[in-house]
Amino acid sequence: MSVYVHSVSMTKFGNSENTSLKDLMLAASREALEEARELKIDAVFVGNYMGGSLANQEILGAIVANDLGLGPIPTAKLEGACASGGIALRQGILGILSGEYESVLVVGVEKMKHASTATVTQFINSAMDQTTNERYAGLTFPGFFGVVANRYFYETGANKSHLAKLALKNRENALQNPLAQFRKPATLEEIMNARMITDPLGLFDCSPITDGAAAVVLSRKPSDIKILASAQASGPTMMQDAIDLLSLPAIRISGQQAYEKAGVSPEDIDVVEIHDCFSMTEMLAIEELGFFPKLEGWLAIEQGKTCVNGEKPVNTSGGLLSRGHPIGATGVAQFYQLVLQLRGHAPNQLEKQPRLALAQNLGGTGSYSVVHILERV
Amino acid sequence: MKVYECCGVESVTKKVYCSTCRQEIKNEREVPDEGTVYSYTVIHIAPADYAHLAPYTVALVQLKDSTAKLTVRIQESVQIGDPVQLDQIADGTYIYQKVRTA
Ligand SMILES: [Zn+2]
Repeated sequence: MSVYVHSVSMTKFGNSENTSLKDLMLAASREALEEARELKIDAVFVGNYMGGSLANQEILGAIVANDLGLGPIPTAKLEGACASGGIALRQGILGILSGEYESVLVVGVEKMKHASTATVTQFINSAMDQTTNERYAGLTFPGFFGVVANRYFYETGANKSHLAKLALKNRENALQNPLAQFRKPATLEEIMNARMITDPLGLFDCSPITDGAAAVVLSRKPSDIKILASAQASGPTMMQDAIDLLSLPAIRISGQQAYEKAGVSPEDIDVVEIHDCFSMTEMLAIEELGFFPKLEGWLAIEQGKTCVNGEKPVNTSGGLLSRGHPIGATGVAQFYQLVLQLRGHAPNQLEKQPRLALAQNLGGTGSYSVVHILERV
Repeated sequence: MKVYECCGVESVTKKVYCSTCRQEIKNEREVPDEGTVYSYTVIHIAPADYAHLAPYTVALVQLKDSTAKLTVRIQESVQIGDPVQLDQIADGTYIYQKVRTA
């Protein structure tokens, strides 16, 4: 049995001051359902991380079923920090593969902009183990990737300008994406000199606080987009427990498993959406997914290999850094961009219409990683 | 400083089972409180309950005579490779300082 993508949708990412978490979720869901009207939805999977803590709203699945008239079907919310959306997609896929459901709706959503940066930073810290000496030391989520970046610089020829170049690439991609949060051009100099968040990572190296939602309808009924593989792996929950600080094993393992399931290799992938919660994270991910050798990702960035017209285009949507990162929606929004690429009408559409696409969604400081491979059929 | 070991993996974190042999982790030993800075960051944007400390340095310390690493806070600026030692443990935080050479 195979699983196919029937429709994708996403809201404009950014500041949805006058729209509730519920309305963002319903708007994306409704658009995806409209596009797949011939299908009867058998279950709903919601990806969401901070609905309870930031918006005081849970029971998201039941709200979708009720307000969109889907009937008394089963629903669930999935949480895996920033990988919540990818995990929701995977649970939808597994639900179809089990034979229990024919068609499912997957929706990812987050509403964060109404809270202060300090409050959001505090709640995002819940994506790390909060009972340990690391939390008491004051390590933050961005801080982890700052520590990684300084070590990466120490062990390679890379420096802050390589991270800046990566961030600039994603910003330039977002300029062409009407649904992206940041559509204002930036310069390398501006990125290099921006306010420091956690040394050496500045403002442009960190994904923003974002409101938004994205939805996908999946079915075992055939369509033009087939899911070739869904894989997920876990990794360390603490920095001090990393065997190799410059490796995110969950990404490597989920990638390897996905390639094996799909029967393809990294060279076969035409277009990629990677979880660039920080510029440093995309650097490690392009290495862990086998696109470039270990500790040489910075050379690929220097040579522009991950640009839209490069040999391995990464984050043609603008990525988390510039499309925006409404946490629970991110994994689902990756599908949105990739399906548009495969269908030939994406922002930053590749000249040669791609056939194979890969999405990688990360949770925590490498605690969760989900990889999906999509094929145009 | 206590480190816990099983199947060649040492950690300052006490976990229940070993992911290699699946047995309960039972080996523990004392190692010196000193080490070298493996990497670090200076946190400028802190969570609400740490905002009053910012900017502050969080370092990953490679402990001496062990393969285990430890996440600490340091009150001064450091570089990778700097020798550091425990200053004090306060509210569950390992606060480290640079080793002063006389
Ligand atoms: Zn063992």
